[in-house]
Amino acid sequence: MTERIAELRRFFVEQRAHHAARQPARDAQELARIFAQGAAPDVQRAAQRHSRMLALEMPVIFPQERLVFTRTNPTLLALFTPQEMDALRRAHTLHEQGEVCNICVDYTRLMDVGLQAAKDSLLQRAQHEHGEKAAYLRLQADILTAILELARRYHDLAVQEGRDDIARMLSRVPAYAPTTFPEALQMFRILHFAMWLGGNYHNTVGRFDQFMYPYFAADMQSGLLSRDAALEWIQEFFLTFNRDSDLYSGMQQGDNGQSLMLGGLNPDGTDSSNELTELCLTASLKLRLIDPKINLRVHKNTPLSLYRLGSELTRQGLGFPQYANDEVVIPALIRYGYEPADAYNYTVAACWEFIIPGRGMDIPNIGAISLAGAVQQAVAQELMACDTFDDLLQAVRRNIHEQVHSTLDSLCNVYLFPAPYLSLMMDGCAQAGQDVSLGCKYNNYGLHGTGLSTAVDALAAVRAWVYGDGSIAKQQLLNALATDYADCPDLLARLRFDAPKMGNNDPLADDLAVLLLDAFADAVDGLRNERGGIIRAGTGSAMYYLWHANDLPATADGRRAGEALAANYSPSLFARLKGPVSILQSFAKPDLGRVCNGGPLTLELHDTMLRNDQAVAKVAQLVKSYMDMGGHQLQLNAINRDTLLEARENPGAHRNLIVRVWGWSGYFVELDPEYQDHIISRTEHAV
Amino acid sequence: MTGIIFDIHQGAVHDGPGIRQTVFLKGCPLRCQWCHNPEGLSPEPELLVSTQGCTGCGRCMQVCPQAALGVVGNRARHCTACGQCVSACSQRIRRIAGEQLTAHELAQRLMEDAAFYRSVGGGVTFSGGEPLLQADFVLETLSLLPPDVHTAVETSGQGSSEAFARFAQAFDWIMLDMKAMDDDIHHRYTGSSNANILANARLLCQGDTPFVVRIPVIPGVNDTNAHYRAVAELVHGAPALQGVELLPYHRTAGAKYAMAGRAYRPSFDAEQPVFINQDIFTQYGIRSRVL
Repeated sequence: MTERIAELRRFFVEQRAHHAARQPARDAQELARIFAQGAAPDVQRAAQRHSRMLALEMPVIFPQERLVFTRTNPTLLALFTPQEMDALRRAHTLHEQGEVCNICVDYTRLMDVGLQAAKDSLLQRAQHEHGEKAAYLRLQADILTAILELARRYHDLAVQEGRDDIARMLSRVPAYAPTTFPEALQMFRILHFAMWLGGNYHNTVGRFDQFMYPYFAADMQSGLLSRDAALEWIQEFFLTFNRDSDLYSGMQQGDNGQSLMLGGLNPDGTDSSNELTELCLTASLKLRLIDPKINLRVHKNTPLSLYRLGSELTRQGLGFPQYANDEVVIPALIRYGYEPADAYNYTVAACWEFIIPGRGMDIPNIGAISLAGAVQQAVAQELMACDTFDDLLQAVRRNIHEQVHSTLDSLCNVYLFPAPYLSLMMDGCAQAGQDVSLGCKYNNYGLHGTGLSTAVDALAAVRAWVYGDGSIAKQQLLNALATDYADCPDLLARLRFDAPKMGNNDPLADDLAVLLLDAFADAVDGLRNERGGIIRAGTGSAMYYLWHANDLPATADGRRAGEALAANYSPSLFARLKGPVSILQSFAKPDLGRVCNGGPLTLELHDTMLRNDQAVAKVAQLVKSYMDMGGHQLQLNAINRDTLLEARENPGAHRNLIVRVWGWSGYFVELDPEYQDHIISRTEHAV
Repeated sequence: MTGIIFDIHQGAVHDGPGIRQTVFLKGCPLRCQWCHNPEGLSPEPELLVSTQGCTGCGRCMQVCPQAALGVVGNRARHCTACGQCVSACSQRIRRIAGEQLTAHELAQRLMEDAAFYRSVGGGVTFSGGEPLLQADFVLETLSLLPPDVHTAVETSGQGSSEAFARFAQAFDWIMLDMKAMDDDIHHRYTGSSNANILANARLLCQGDTPFVVRIPVIPGVNDTNAHYRAVAELVHGAPALQGVELLPYHRTAGAKYAMAGRAYRPSFDAEQPVFINQDIFTQYGIRSRVL
């Protein structure tokens, strides 16, 4: 890290000195009230709000920075008044906050031509259209005008402050297509910055090392750029993701979806990773920041050196990279109906859901079913009536089926706020002048399935001791569950600690995981959503693992009511496991290509396992081994329980401690206590 | 034949080449003051009780046949490691360290994941305790593993030269501890002379089995240039030497003593930082690294 980058990191991340340039908070309803009075149509609101947000920005240039654009207005103006929102929620299913989010746009659609040409083209097309379509194109042009105008104000400030390098860059981008790698980075910064101002969130970065490579390679070849200079640019660029992120909406600070994908398999079987891939990993390694969140696509020809660089990142305790296995994911996406060329181009949404840049308006996190709940309900209500374990499994399958259907039924009439700016970077929408909120090439839904390991362990215990050796009578178990094990500590301990557990490479548990995930896949198979898409089942949990756990009564694995479920695709929190190898083996057994919405196995490694270079190389091998076994997605944490406990007591001394939460990394001390506790309890597994 | 082990550790990354499974043999002739595996010392099964999570319900001592002879905390003064309290504990914080099993059983268990460890360039490591103390058991287990399983042993070298020579013959990789080159210091901190160990080290230096020398670096005991130089002097030029590994003392070494019902009372100053000097090894042309 150069002194300049170190200085910028101190300025933006540690001192947050740029916050001094922020304007006071505004009345978030100031526009919504006017819109409501005029009963403005939603498209008009979205475009006008966007232009207004851009106009409210005050250019600011900080010492030593070379990539500009920093948020100064902290308030996102609402599109609708609270009363209007209530009415919308009554009439529709609003996904999360209502804004288009969690997709990956194709930045090259604007980068390749520049905003001036894009705007001219919109206005020209508007002349040949009529009515709503013409109005829509003009509104899109207005947004681009507002971005160009803000860029002009930045340019003028740069001139005024004698920052010639910045002024030169801004006289090129974003109006015209970038001609150099630094210009491309500045252009991306502006495009991405503008997305947040449009109210959109979980704005992912996509396959950065692919679409940026031409700029990088050209500069390297012409000698304009050295490796060190490129690294410095990338580091400064990565820093831009950490400037305004406290203003981005998410469940928690850090949950902002700025995922960046690297590497991957080409359709011809070659590996797409390049020098830029490696530089991005190196940049992140040195910066030690939670954004952008690094994802790495791997396949059987991925060089071990890339795994090794990834493991170096893990060693830093960042909670990423997260690995996705092309050998499983690409065929799965093709089976789901994605065109092969698109499947090969997949990236991840904010957390881990597999989506297609520029083509997917999938809502991969639209809902979740509780696998643990399906088992709990079957045991509590139907155990007496089930003469065989197979009968009980049938009941579980029925419950999964019912949960899938009731979840989807509750999601009818989905409404998303228009996103005219994002639509410019989505295939089909851009050409047709159609808003992406209404759909794009792919409009699939994804359902998470929470509490898999709890569900498996509960079934395994029932099979072994209720139907197997009969050492637990049905009524005895039901009484224990109904009373939350209040009067039977022995039974509780036996179920909790002595029964077969998923994660021990024990067939007595693992075959049930295979079966449950197949049942989940079967339940969504052939279903269609109202947008014409399919339903993808997945192994993720997002924050549902907390919500579902709160509502879940005692389960037959010895889990008491309200006790936590594991996040994503992970062993139960109190299972005593043999070690990392058996965890990988257990979690590779299910047919993950059938439940490929996304959702990683999380492997918690004690940080001593990464304490020297040789050990890091071995961890890289361990990661590769999971992929070789057929794992779909893996994320590792290097943690030290003592450090976490100490940080909870003494947050001031651990401001920089980074942990993975469910699909993103955040600063431990900034998390709500319940998340902190969950992460600490997760470390029981550290192996 | 039968042996006794206290753990099989998965995914070990510091116990030899590649990723390995490590078998911990129970029983050790040395009493190193910094030992972090106190349950590896005695060759008999023993009770371990976690210091965290006890609810004080008292069930353990209700079922304990030895409780009548006196109880300290939540364990019997004259515990026979019968194990009755283990399943009585509702928190499962008690366990018996020390599983007796035959070489066949152990080999079979190691074979379960042998293909995995082979695929990641690893294998099986025998550690302890002291494997030399159960040399026949270890060697029989080894003979039952297919030849493509890479085998390593981590030993203090404290055992007969005859057993040591058989180890050197049978194993693919040997990790030999060098705790103190000065016999007085060795005696003071490990309870034994180093004469045997040095003899075995010389044997290793003359042979062709790949080996590394490991130095547990203990503050104020052996973290001196004199020790580093003496080790380098002893092993340099050995054709099969793969390098020297330095394992700095860590303050968590004492963590398991309370679980084993023992007190951790090292006579060295455990708070003192350790002195590391790899230059000496470089001067002797020996590769060294800190683990």
